[in-house]
Order: sequence, then C-alpha cells, then structure tokens
Amino acid sequence: MIRPRWRKVLRDLLGNKVRTMLVVFSIGIGVFAIGMIVGTQILLDEDLSLVYSETNPAHAVFYPDSFDQDLVDNIERIDGVKEAQGRSGFSMSLQKGEDEWVNLNFVALDDFEAQRIHTINYVSGEWPPPERTIIIEQASLPFTNAEVGDTITVRASDDRLYELEIVGLAHDIWTEPVQFTQSPNGFISLETMEWLGFGSELDELHIVAEGNELTRDDITEISTVVENKIEKSGRTNYFTWIPEPGEHPAQEIITPLLAILGALGVLALLASAFLVINIINGLLAQHTQQIGIMKAIGARRNQIVLMYLVSVVIFGILSLIIAIPLGGLAAYAFTSYLAGLINFELLGFRIPIQVIIIQVAVAMLTPVLAAFIPVVRGTTITVREALSEHGLGKGQFGSNFLDRLVNWISATVLRLSRPMRISLRNTVRRKARLILTLITLTLGGAIFIGVLSVQASLLGTLDDALSYFAYDVDINFSQEHRIETIQREALKVPGVVTAESWIGAGARRVLDGEEGEQFFVIGTNAETEVIKPILLEGRWLLPTDTNSVVLNSLVLKEESDIQVGDQIIMKINDRELEWNVVGIVQGVMTGGIGYVNQPFLAKELRFVGKATGVQIVTEQDDAEYTAAVEKRLRDHFQAIGLDISNTSLTTDTRQSIESQFNIIVTLLVVMAILVAFVGGLGLMGTMSINVLERTREIGVMRAVGASDNSILRIVLVEGILVGVISWLFGGLMAYPIGFYLSDLVGTTLLESSLRFIFATNGALGWLIGIILIGTLASILPAWNASQLSVRQTLAYE
Amino acid sequence: MLKLFGSRQKEERPINGSGDSNFLIDLTDVVKAYQTPVGDFIALDGVDLKMDHSEFVSVVGKSGSGKSTLINMITGIDRPTSGTVFIDNTAVHTLREGPMAEWRGRTIGVIFQFFQLLPMLSCVENIMLPMDFCNMYTSKERQERALHLLEQVDMAEHAFKLPSEVSGGQQQRVAIARALANDPPLLAADEPTGNLDSKTADAIFELFQELVDNGKTIVMVTHDNELASRMTRTITIADGKIVDEVKR
Repeated sequence: MIRPRWRKVLRDLLGNKVRTMLVVFSIGIGVFAIGMIVGTQILLDEDLSLVYSETNPAHAVFYPDSFDQDLVDNIERIDGVKEAQGRSGFSMSLQKGEDEWVNLNFVALDDFEAQRIHTINYVSGEWPPPERTIIIEQASLPFTNAEVGDTITVRASDDRLYELEIVGLAHDIWTEPVQFTQSPNGFISLETMEWLGFGSELDELHIVAEGNELTRDDITEISTVVENKIEKSGRTNYFTWIPEPGEHPAQEIITPLLAILGALGVLALLASAFLVINIINGLLAQHTQQIGIMKAIGARRNQIVLMYLVSVVIFGILSLIIAIPLGGLAAYAFTSYLAGLINFELLGFRIPIQVIIIQVAVAMLTPVLAAFIPVVRGTTITVREALSEHGLGKGQFGSNFLDRLVNWISATVLRLSRPMRISLRNTVRRKARLILTLITLTLGGAIFIGVLSVQASLLGTLDDALSYFAYDVDINFSQEHRIETIQREALKVPGVVTAESWIGAGARRVLDGEEGEQFFVIGTNAETEVIKPILLEGRWLLPTDTNSVVLNSLVLKEESDIQVGDQIIMKINDRELEWNVVGIVQGVMTGGIGYVNQPFLAKELRFVGKATGVQIVTEQDDAEYTAAVEKRLRDHFQAIGLDISNTSLTTDTRQSIESQFNIIVTLLVVMAILVAFVGGLGLMGTMSINVLERTREIGVMRAVGASDNSILRIVLVEGILVGVISWLFGGLMAYPIGFYLSDLVGTTLLESSLRFIFATNGALGWLIGIILIGTLASILPAWNASQLSVRQTLAYE
Repeated sequence: MLKLFGSRQKEERPINGSGDSNFLIDLTDVVKAYQTPVGDFIALDGVDLKMDHSEFVSVVGKSGSGKSTLINMITGIDRPTSGTVFIDNTAVHTLREGPMAEWRGRTIGVIFQFFQLLPMLSCVENIMLPMDFCNMYTSKERQERALHLLEQVDMAEHAFKLPSEVSGGQQQRVAIARALANDPPLLAADEPTGNLDSKTADAIFELFQELVDNGKTIVMVTHDNELASRMTRTITIADGKIVDEVKR
C-alpha cells in the first residue's frame, strides 16, 4: 500500500497535467538530444569500426611512380610490414547525358579474389569483372544514370570513346563518398585498364603493419622504411598518406561535429534545468500553505524536502519514457543518414545500454540538482508564516529602483495605457523567475542566431576562398605543354578573359634537419589576375623576385616561428633551397600554400615554360555561361591536339561545398530549434505560474470592471515583452557564441578560421520567432485567466 | 463510543525534557514580541498558564488580543521571545524545528479555522498522513484506524471522497479526526467553529465535549461567548495579558 505522503506526491503530479507535461517535455528534450548524440556516436563508432576493420584498412598508402608486383613482394618482405598490396587508380569522363560528362574514378585490381587490404566487396552480378566490363560501387550507380547490364561510354583524354558493360555492383567503404564528389566509382581488371590506355602498372601501394594497437608514430616509422625501399627501386614516392589508425577517414569530421552538437544538447538541457527551477519555485509558492499544514500535523522538513525531490525524480522518469525511445530512433535515423553519406549499412536498430545509462543519469540528476535549492528554501517556511500568507499579490512591487524606473517609464515617458502599464510592471515583479526565463530564452535565441552566423560565415568564407582563386574553369591536361601555347590558345576561345598556368609541387620546411608537415608550393606570376590574396603582413611577390616566398597563414599554423624577413629552407622535389619569406597572406580553405615566382620555380623544378594545367577566368561567372565556355575550351584544345584529362567548374565546386556546409548547418539548426523550443516551454511555464499566482488579482481587476480582452491582453503583452527582452540579450550574446562556434566549426572541419559574419537576417528572423513564441506561450495562460469568474478567483486557494 | 481515543494511556508516554511538572501545559512568563517597521509589537506580555489533563479550556478575546499567539505557543507553531513552555513535560521552547514537528505530530492535534485538509487527498488519506509522517502504526493499522476515527466523527460514509466533495462542517469533522490520528493527549483549535453555521458549530462542540469526557485535553480559541461558557475554564486575553480566568 502506498503511503499517504506518496499518494499526495502522485496526485499533485496528476492534478496539474499541464505543468507536469511542461516539465516532462522540457527535461525530455534535453535528455533526447543527449541520447541522440551519444547514441549516434556509439552506433557509428561500433558499426563503422566493425565494417571498416573487416575491409582490413591500410595503415599507410603510398603514391609512387608506377610499379609492378615485384615491388609489392619486396615491400611485403620488409620486417614490420604484415601485408602489402598494389592497385591502380585513374579517372575518365563518363557520359551521363547527351551532353553531360562527369568524372568516373576507376580502381583497377590485379586479382579481385585475392584482395587483402581495403577490400572491395562483392554485392551482386558478375565477379570478378571480365575484360572490357566494369563493376560499379553500389552507392555510385544512381550517379551514372545507368543500370546493371547497361553499357556506359567513357572518354579518354585523346577523346577516344570506350564502351564498358556494367556487370555488377560492389561495396567499397573506403572511397570518397559519391554524394560529395559527384564522381561515381567503378572497378575493373588490369586488362581493362590496359585496353583503356592506362597501361597495366600499379600506382597505389597499401600496407598493413605488423602488430596491434599501433600508434601513428609506429606507422610513420615503418612508412619511412617503405619509402626508402621505393626510392631504392628507382621510383619517386610522391606522397604518403597515414590515416588515423583504425578510424575511417570520415570520423575525423564526424567526431568534432558530434562534439559541437553535443555541446548544444547540453545547453538545451541547461535551459530545461532553468525551467525546472522556475516551475518548482512556482509549485512551492502555490503549496506554501500545504507545506505549513504538513508541518503542523507532524511532518519534518526533510520529509517534505524528500517528497518534492521525489516528484522531480518522477518528472525525470516520465521524461525518459519519451526521451529513450525517441532519442534511440533519432540516433538510429541520424546514424543511418551519416552511414549513407559514408557509404555503409548499419548493423541494425538498437539502443546501446551506455546511452540508456547516460540518459537515466541525466534525467534523474538534472531536475534534482535544479530543484534542490528551491525545495530546500521553499520548505524552510514556518507553520505560522505559511498559514498567515493571504491577500493579494506575491512578489513585492515598488520596493526598489528597477520597479520605480519601470513605473516611471511606463507612466510618464511612454504614457502607456493602464493595462499596458500593468503588463510592464508585472513583467519585473518576480525578478528571479524573470531572470531564469530570460536566461533560457536568451540562450535559445543566442544559439539560433549564432548558428545562422556560422552558416553565414561558412558561405562568406567560401566566397572569399573562391574569389581568392578567381578562376571560373580549371583545366588539366594529360601531359605537359608549353605555357605560352596553352595561354595563347585559351585566349582564342570566346568568353575567356584570362588564362594562367601555374606550376606546383609538394614542399616541406626543413629546420635543424627535421622535415615539417607537407604544404604546397605554387609557382605563379607576380602580376597574377587569378590569385587575389588577402595580405596580412609584408608584401606580395614582385616580378623581380627570385627565391622569395609568400606563405599563407595555414603554413604558419604548423611553422609558427616563421616571420616576414626570415630565411627558411624548403625541400621541394628532394632539393633543399633557402627562401626569403617576404609576405604572409590569409589562407582560406586550401591548406598550407607558399607562393613563389613561376620562372624561378620552373627552373628549380627543371621544367621551363611548361605546365599541365590552366586556370581560366571567364567573362561572366554564372554556371551556365562558364559551362558553355568550358565546352568551347574542350573542343578547341581537342581540335589543336592538346589532351584534356579533366576540367572543373568553380560553380560546381561551390555547389558541392555548399551542400556539405548545408549538412552541418542543418544539424546545428535542428539543435538550435530544440534549445529555442525549451525556451518557449520555459516562457509558457513562467506565464502559467504568473497567472496562477495572480488569480486573485485578476479577480479584483475583473470586479472593478476589466473585460475579458483587457485581461487577455495584459497577460499576452507580458509574455511578448519577456520574449523581446530576451531577444535583445540573445542578439548581444549571439555575437560571441556565433564567433566561437564559427571558429570551432572552421578549425575542426576546414582546418582554418572562418571570416565571421554576424547573421543580421537571423537576428531579425528570431525577433519574429520570439514574438510568435511569446504569443503562443502566453495565449493559453491568458485565455485561462480571462475565463475565470470573479467568484472563482476570489475563492481561489 | 470513543474508547479508541483513550487507548493509549498517559502513563505509557515517556517523560521528555527537563520539566517535572504535574501539569499537561505549563507556560511561565511567556513574552512574544514581533518586530514591525514601526517598532516591536508585544503580542504576549508575561503570560503564565497551567492546565491539567482532561480540561476543556476556551481562550477568548478581541481580534489582535493575542489569543492565536497563545495557541501557537502551546502548539510550538511559534516560539516565545522569552519565558518557558512545557507541554507534557517537554520543553517546547527549546526544540529545534525537525524534532518539534515530530513531537507536535505525536503530542498535539491541531485544528484550524479553515479546516486545512490537503485537497488532493481523500478524507481517509488526510487522516493517515500524520501517522505516516510520524511513523505511527503499521501501514495496515493506519487505514483501519483512520476509518475508525471517521466513524467516530460520523464521516465514515464519506471516507473516500475528496475534501472538496463534502461540506464545511464535514470537513471540520475530518480535520478533527486528523487531529486525533496519532492519539495525542492534547488538541489545540484556533476558532474551529468560526467558519461554520451555528448548528454545525454546535455539533462540532459536542464532539469536543465527548473527547474531553474520554480523557483528551482541549484548548480552543473562540469568539463565541456562549460556547466558551460551556467549557471547564475560560481565559480572557487582552493586549497580550490574561485579564480574566473563570473556572467552572
């Protein structure tokens, strides 16, 4: 049999369903958000790690000059190398529509059955692919506009066309997601590769090192041995890639993203904690007399404290009923979405036990912590005080400066109507409650505007990056051509304004015999019209410069000691040379770059006057125009016998990057809406408590002639007023929050700071939003207030 | 009829505190001053009051004379500024809040003018609540006892109704049953009939009379001189002092 005191607790919860739901929902939202994010993290970690490890991922990937199986066998004999395997990768143009071509990335394997590293797995159809056929990566199929059994047409750089039959589908978790690159992936045999004109040699070497739980350092060590072996065979190793051991490359982006979302989830929870404080305070104020009675009939204070704490624990338990299943579903849906982007299938729906434990702990502790002080304070009241409370109005008004100020402003300065004055003064009556409500709403608003500022900053930075490199079309040739020829021929094409060829190479700074992180050196003209650098320090290149280099700020992130005027040693193509740092420019979304004068670099690299690509500036920069110019350029170069390997349009690049940004921003906005929603619930709770507490007053106003409408208006205006005040604070706080978030998103996802842009539109949008929230949150309490009769209100206990 | 009320003999009660008085209530030189913005307000000014078991005492006086303050001193709801308060040999003026609540729950049944039943609990649950707080009786005994008490106050048929579903007089009967829940030797009532019509008030008074006949002691603040005249003793208070005392 339940003890009478617990029956009271339960009936109180059931007796005010609106209040109970309000608290349960607001705690539930915070716990839901945390469950969703922690759940996503765990599901993704578990499933992706498992699926990924089943493909036996490489510890290191080398990109040397082309090689054969002998080199692979030699590498595999190195002490510390467990397995080695070679493959070849290249790309051709795939005909997607009548006049629509996209890049198709090929991976060519010697033996599909004997794959050991980064395995590509059979899904359906034929396996392995016979000569002159292709197996398509399953996620790529929709991007080819073809089906299994169809024949696709690919174009080589010499414009010869080849037809390949799609004979099956495979799954490859390792290739870059087709959604981001828009370039489908396909798998062929070495024979097919040879037929397509790419020879039969390999050019990617994957190794798995010996041992378990290897660190990056262990792998770097063995990689150096492998690099030496490659060099000894007379080949150059252009690049070594060491992925984070055991981690899918996508996790590098997803982990910080989830951390940011998690932080927003914690803020949502914090907002709901404030709401709990307000509601419990209101509840205790309402229960003052009951607390007095219970004490009078023998209840000790700690018994009463326990009763109220148990009721908040029940709020927590009820919130779990919503938060666990919804959080689990959302985590699964979100993880499925991410899995789709990464290109793997989840192992099935489940809610990990860790998530449930965290949710239970958070749902129990948050409300208890939030309610503890209000409950302890609310139950100190003595029996005599509790029983002697009666009459009008709690919350003293008029006793301090703020009250008198509000009074003066509303009556003398603004000359407001009397109901409006009541609204304004009511707003500041319960100051602690007002402050907590304002904090919750302000937090919601600040995060909302802040997140939109992140979006504005991302897009603004993208604009910067794209106007920094002001070309509209980027063309790569299959081999070197004379720069003079390339530029002259490009300029002949109608619509081309500028054509510039750069030369580039990987570089490392050498300091005290140690090589630093790799960055890129671009040889350009001092008077370039294609690069519009944002100068931070020093100067840009002069035509007379020789071994002068201008570094971007991202190089300095790794080599923080470099200053303008310093002499540094850079190792380019195995040659160490001293360079003068003459300037520092802003780095935007590119990674580290050093700019040097082209003639000097060309001489150093031993290819005077030749380049493999050209950057084109067109007359207009809309997608349609640049696409037309690109087609004309392609036709023109073809006609004069310059083979193009691939081209890219800046408008396409922008679209692809924007779509990636939008994924991030959408996630952030969803979290911001959750926080804003808790804020709205908070306001609704506060308004309900206010109305309840002033029921008697409302009766008095009514008795002296206030109409339904004026009562309704008094409450509504108060709600909206609180919203608008929070908007002011929120707008102010949005700046630092947005700035910090932008920086966080920039540094974790793009490895560079964003140019911060405050979302003014977002701030204005939020003003409309908050007025709506204020109205919605107070309409129910206002309506209830206007429906009370004089008799009811004065009898109200 | 009311044998249950006397089921626990006074001799079984442990003697608490340091007072060693034969009186159930023993107030000595009790002063109560309230601080107000316009200076101290003396609500009680050197009150001495002694009361035996099975007395039925009325406290009368004008509004603001200090009657309620006197009752609050006895119930421990308020503390004296100076002086001593011994109830059933417990030094009430020295008790801290927590022990005070539990002591009150076991020793005094408090009855209020506005009944003060908890609105969300049924009548029988309201009566079980003090037993619950003071950990008296087993869970099963509580309900039996509460129902029995309701029977004694003629409210058995309304046991499972909420307070809002019964009349004011009926609520006060339930409140009296609640005051008896832990079988305290003393009942303290602050104008228990003040909010009832005269017929109902009479019935409540008779109920009190029966309780006194069965060994309870009752102190009751009242405005009703006619009622007061029917009790064993009447104390008149004015300006915080006992100005008249009539024993019958």
